[in-house]
Amino acid sequence: MIERANVERMKNDELLRLARVLKVPIDQREIRRSQLIDDIMKAVELHKESQPSGEELQTPAIHIDGLVKKYGHKIAVFGLNLKVNPGEIVGLVGPNGAGKTTTLRVLTGIIKQTSGNIKVNGYDTLKEPIKAKSVIGYIPEKPTCYPSLTVKEYITFMARIYEVPKRIALIRMRQFVDMFQMDEYLDTYIGTLSKGNLQRTLLIGIFVRPPPYVLALDEPIYGLDPRGAWNLKAYLKRLRDEGSAILISTHILEVASDLCDRFVIMNEGNVVGRGTLEELLKEHKRTNNLEEIFLSLTGGIPK
Amino acid sequence: MKSQTSRLIFNEIRMLFNQFKQTIKTPSMFLFYIITIAGIFFISIVIVSFLSLGSIIYNIGTMLEEVIQRDLIFAALGLLTVTSIISGYFGLGPAAVITTDDENILLPAPVKPYQVFISRYLRRILRKSIFAVLGLVSILPLLTSANLVFYSTAFMLVCIIIYLESNYFLGALSSYLRIKLNTRFKNPLCHIIVILLGAGVLLLTIPQLTSSFTAAAIFPSNALGFVLTETTGVFSLGVGYQIGFLFQLISFALCFLLTANISSYEYYELFSAVKGKEEVEGNFSRIIHGEVDFSSSRFNDPSIWIMLKDFWSRLRSPFQIWKYIYAIIGGVSVLYLNLFHPAWFRPFNVPSGIQYAIVPAFVLMMILFVQMSSVTSMLSLVDEKENVYLLKASPFRTKDIVLAKYLLSLFEVSIAVIPAAGFLIYILRIEGYLAMITLVAPLTILFTASGVAIGAYVPVITNDPKQLPIPLAFSYPIINLGLGSFMIFLVALFAKSVLILIVLPAYSLMLTFLFLSLSSRAINSYK
Repeated sequence: MIERANVERMKNDELLRLARVLKVPIDQREIRRSQLIDDIMKAVELHKESQPSGEELQTPAIHIDGLVKKYGHKIAVFGLNLKVNPGEIVGLVGPNGAGKTTTLRVLTGIIKQTSGNIKVNGYDTLKEPIKAKSVIGYIPEKPTCYPSLTVKEYITFMARIYEVPKRIALIRMRQFVDMFQMDEYLDTYIGTLSKGNLQRTLLIGIFVRPPPYVLALDEPIYGLDPRGAWNLKAYLKRLRDEGSAILISTHILEVASDLCDRFVIMNEGNVVGRGTLEELLKEHKRTNNLEEIFLSLTGGIPK
Repeated sequence: MKSQTSRLIFNEIRMLFNQFKQTIKTPSMFLFYIITIAGIFFISIVIVSFLSLGSIIYNIGTMLEEVIQRDLIFAALGLLTVTSIISGYFGLGPAAVITTDDENILLPAPVKPYQVFISRYLRRILRKSIFAVLGLVSILPLLTSANLVFYSTAFMLVCIIIYLESNYFLGALSSYLRIKLNTRFKNPLCHIIVILLGAGVLLLTIPQLTSSFTAAAIFPSNALGFVLTETTGVFSLGVGYQIGFLFQLISFALCFLLTANISSYEYYELFSAVKGKEEVEGNFSRIIHGEVDFSSSRFNDPSIWIMLKDFWSRLRSPFQIWKYIYAIIGGVSVLYLNLFHPAWFRPFNVPSGIQYAIVPAFVLMMILFVQMSSVTSMLSLVDEKENVYLLKASPFRTKDIVLAKYLLSLFEVSIAVIPAAGFLIYILRIEGYLAMITLVAPLTILFTASGVAIGAYVPVITNDPKQLPIPLAFSYPIINLGLGSFMIFLVALFAKSVLILIVLPAYSLMLTFLFLSLSSRAINSYK
C-alpha cells in the first residue's frame, strides 16, 4: 500500500511528520533524508499488517433499481435502472434538466428517492446509509467547500471523516497535491481559490482515501485546465483498472466518449438510450459519433 | 480513535478560529471591528455623560411593579415561546444549520445527521457567545453608569441566550411534528395541532402555575421568568435565582438532546427542497402583482430601468410583498388611532418617576424606528449578489446606479417609516411631538444614503458581494445612531434661531451627498 516512490516525493517536514506518526526513533541531531526514508520504510513494513486491506467492491458496486424522484408534482427521474460494476466507468449524459444531477444526489444520500432501491457496494442507501456513504466519493455540479479552511486542513478533515490512517493520509496527500499541482495552495484559504483549484481540492479530498471507490462525479472536468483534466482522466482510468466503479455525469461528450465504457443517455427524467459506443452506433445507424447519438435521442440532430 | 462527532466539532472550531485569524489579518475587516467596538464604547461614554442611567434603572423596578403585573411577565415570555413554536412548525428545524457547503461535503459523507447538527450548532452558540461578550464590553460605560455589575449583566445575557436557544429547539421540535403529520395525513386541517400546541404552552404560564415556584418552572419561558424576577427583585418570591437557572439549564439540555435526536435524513431532504425554492416567488405575491412584464416599459432612463428591475424582482421574492401590506395596513391603522383615539388602546401613561426621561426616549425611539426601517437600503446592493459586477459592467454610469438604488430605497424606507412614526406619536404623546416628528424626514433621507453606502462597500471589503460582514452590519446602526444624535444636538442648539432652517437641511443634504459619492467610489473600485 505505501510505496517507496510515494514516500520519496514527500517534503522534509512531511517526512518528519510521517516519522513521528510511525514512531520512528530520531535521536540524531542531523539525519540524512535517504536514511530517514529507509527508517520510515522499515517502520512501514512493521505496520504492514495494520494497513487497510483495500477490500474489493461488490458487484455491482452501484445498483439502482426503478428509481423515481419527484419534486412535488414534477418528475425529475422516472424508473431509472442502472448498474455500475467495479472496473467500469459509466457516463450519464443528457441535456440540462434530464435528471442526471438528481440521480447523483439520490445516489450519494443527499436527497431521498420517492421510490426505488439503491445499493452502493451492496448496502441499501436508506437502510445502511453510513456503510454506503463510506465508499462514495462525490464531486458536485457546482463545487463548493468550507471557505474558512485551508486546503491542507480540508484534506486532513476529509481523511479523518473517512477514517484514513494518518500515515496513509500524509503520503496520499503529497501524491495528489503533486498530481494536481496544488503545492503552492496548501496553506491557502479555500474561499480564495479559483474554480479550477477548488475542483482540484475536492478531488484530492476524495483521493486521500485509499481506493477502491464508488465515484459519483458531476462534471468533474469542469474548471480544470488541460493538464489537470488530462491527469484526472488518466487517474480515473487507472482507478477503473484497479477496480473502482465510476459514474460520471457530463455535458462534455468528448470527455465522455474518451473516458466511459458505457453510456446512459437521459432526457426529461427517462433513459432514452444505453450501451457501449459501439452498441449505440449499431442501434442508431445514421449516426457517426456520441454527439450525433446524443442529439438524435434528445430532440433530433439540428439541420 | 476519536469519534466522528468530536472530529466535526474540532473542524467547526477550527473554521471559527480561521475566521477570526482572517479578520485580524484583513486590514479592512479588522478596522471595521475596531471602529464598531470603539464606536459603541465611545457612544456609551457620550450617553452616560448626558444622563445617569443609575436613577432610571433604579426607578424602573418600582415603576414596573406599579404598571404591570407579575403574570404579565410570564405571559409575555410564554407568548414569545409560542411564537417560536408556531414559526418553527413551518420552519427548517435542525436543517436550519445546514449550509450549501455541508450539502456537498458532509451530507454525502459517512456522518450521521445528528453529528452534523451538534457540531454546527455548537459553533453557532460559541460564535453568538463571543459576540455577546464583545457587545457587553462595548457598552461597559453604560453598565457602569446604570450601577449594573458586569458579571450580573453577563449572567442575565447568558440566561436570555439560553431561553432564546431553548425556543429555537422547541421550534425545531414542532417542525418535526409537521414532518411526521405530513407523512401520515393528507388533510391540511391536521396542522391545526400547532394552534392547540401553542394554547397548551400558554396554559403553562397561567398565574396558578407561576405565582409560586412549581414544577412548571421547568418550561423555558417560566424558568427565565423566575430568573428575571428573582435576580432583579421585581415581583420576587424570595426563592433565589439559582433554582430558576438550574431549571433553565435542564430544559435547555433536554431540548438540545431532543433536537439532536430528531435530526434525521428527512432534514437533508427538507434543506434541499427549501434551497431549491428560495428564489421562487411566493404564491401570494404572484396573486398580488399578476403577470406584469416590465420589459415593455416606455422609460429609457437607466436609473428608472434599474429601479423597475429592482422593484419587480424584489416584489417577486416571497417576503417583499408583506412589506407593502404592512405599509398599507399599518398606515391605515395609525391613521385610525390618531384620528379616533380608541378606548381599547390608549396612549402610554408615563409614570411620574420617569417623566424627565420621556423626551430622550421619544427621540431615541424615533431614531431607532427610522434605523430599523432603513435596513432595506443597506441590502439594495447586497441583494444583487454577483450580479452587482454585471451591473457595474453594464453601460450605465455609476451615479445612475447609485441614484436608482437610493431612490427606490428611499421609497421603501419611507413607506415603512410612516406607520412607525404614526404609532410613535400616538403612543408617546410628549409636548411638541408634532414638531419633533418632522425630523423623521431628514433622518430617513440620511439613513437611506448611509445604508446604500454601506451596502456598496460590501464587495470592497469581502470580495463576496452577497455576504454582509458582521462588523459592517453592526456599524450601520451605530453610524446612524451617531448621525441621528448629532442631528438632534444641532436642532436643540439652533431651536430658537432661524439658522435652523439652513443648518438642518445643510447637515442632512451634505451628508447624504457624501454617502452617495462614497457609494459611487466604492462601486468604481470593484475588482
